Amino acid sequence: MSVLLPILLSSAAACGLTVILAAALLVVEKLLVNRGTCVVDVNDGERKLEVTGGRSVLTTLTDEGIFIPSACGGRGTCSYCKLEMTAGAGPLSPTEMPLLTAEEIERGLRISCQVKVRNDLAVTIPAELLSVREYRGVVERIRDLTGDIKELRIRLVEPEAIDFTAGQYIQLRAPAYGDNPDPVYRAYSISSPPSARDGIELIVRLVPGGICTTWIFTMLTEGDEVVFNGPYGEFRLSEAGGPMIWIAGGSGMAPFWSMVRHMKQTGHARPCTYFFGAVRERDLFFTDELKALARELPWFSYVPALSGPAESNGWTGETGLITEVVDRHVREAGDLEAYLCGSPGMIAAAAAVLHAKGIGEQRMYYDKFE
Amino acid sequence: MKPSPTEKRILDRMAPGVLCREGFLGTDARPLQEILDTDRSTLERLGCTHEQLAERLGRVCEAAMAACGAPVSVEGGRLMAEYREAMGQIPCPWADAARRPKGEVECTDPQTGRSLVYTPLAVHLIEAHGFYQGRGSRYRLEPADVAAVFRLDEQDE
Repeated sequence: MSVLLPILLSSAAACGLTVILAAALLVVEKLLVNRGTCVVDVNDGERKLEVTGGRSVLTTLTDEGIFIPSACGGRGTCSYCKLEMTAGAGPLSPTEMPLLTAEEIERGLRISCQVKVRNDLAVTIPAELLSVREYRGVVERIRDLTGDIKELRIRLVEPEAIDFTAGQYIQLRAPAYGDNPDPVYRAYSISSPPSARDGIELIVRLVPGGICTTWIFTMLTEGDEVVFNGPYGEFRLSEAGGPMIWIAGGSGMAPFWSMVRHMKQTGHARPCTYFFGAVRERDLFFTDELKALARELPWFSYVPALSGPAESNGWTGETGLITEVVDRHVREAGDLEAYLCGSPGMIAAAAAVLHAKGIGEQRMYYDKFE
Repeated sequence: MKPSPTEKRILDRMAPGVLCREGFLGTDARPLQEILDTDRSTLERLGCTHEQLAERLGRVCEAAMAACGAPVSVEGGRLMAEYREAMGQIPCPWADAARRPKGEVECTDPQTGRSLVYTPLAVHLIEAHGFYQGRGSRYRLEPADVAAVFRLDEQDE
């Protein structure tokens, strides 16, 4: 016992010292991290936010009701939350470097989730983001459109209405679940027309191993409350009145499903041919509805096409890659506008076909899956 | 051994729920360096390199992506490949600015029935970092399987 006593005493002293040091560190951290009140100047004096320092610019802005697109929950991986910071952001951090190009660094862009508000700071926020809001809603309907695509209908609770332009998207919040410790946001185009202001519809394709889509496909049920923010994006119909072609595949249907119904409701008669590509017939959806619209609206035609091996169920429509189908159908560009929504590969291939027909880059509009 | 700060940052980004739901390490409890070293040794034994495997996987991936989801024959008609597209891009856990589409490719040898399922990011991980992902991970590629599908293990026979 006489041998053990000094050992026990020294262990107790070491533990006590550790506790004191830990407490001291917490106090110091509290003092250093909390930078007191700082002023965030938005758009050169347009708004001045008095905020508590110490948190990231992204979180600070979110708390002030300014929503910046961000998919990774502030972990510095998605780089969507880039903002121009003209003063007070401090030196570029190593976590930002890989996410910014030399040109972006030159322009003063920063990854807002990786920059802490440590003092007064000036930031430039695109005007359209200042009208973005957070919405709470309830899932009213979930239905399968194909084996790996679902449609969600979300009825708004607070605020009770949303204004958006056909073609825009929202960011849906997937809560922490399972091994995913933090909420994440993922972008989905709104597929409902803007006239239905009391809610939104989304078309979601399952991403293997995806955080948000796995939650939607396996956990989300009708009646659940959800949170999203938006609307975002500049993919919308131009004000030109000339003929258009739309090209999409898979969940790239969403913005066009919104646009065509919006055009019908508002009497916006503008010649439009919609090319939709799928691999197999079972991957097509809204076919009956779109064919019915094509019969009803003299300015609208719908061309679904299958690129997969022929099945023995009597498909008599177009076959081949959607780019080949477009190549066969579009004779000359004239004043044609093209709207494309889908994977970067599909968009690149379709753009090449359209360029070859003389459609300039200035008349092509993209909504890439990225 | 305790990971270095850089390795810790990479491991943090490989954890489930950070860049993707299941992460990159699966059930593999080995240190990252051991995973990398073991796969490199396997390749040395097979007489091929990360670059060779990545080049073949990348070529198949590009051909499959260009087919927009339709099955396409690759490697001179010996293999079939199909790309399943998905929205969004995923960054590299090494934080080296690489970002790749989230879809997946299935490459099948109809003669043997052997198939590889991998992502565009996996091609980058192999080429730039010699990383085939941890055992038990959804997109783990066994170097020997890749070499066998592309017949890289038969080159000197």
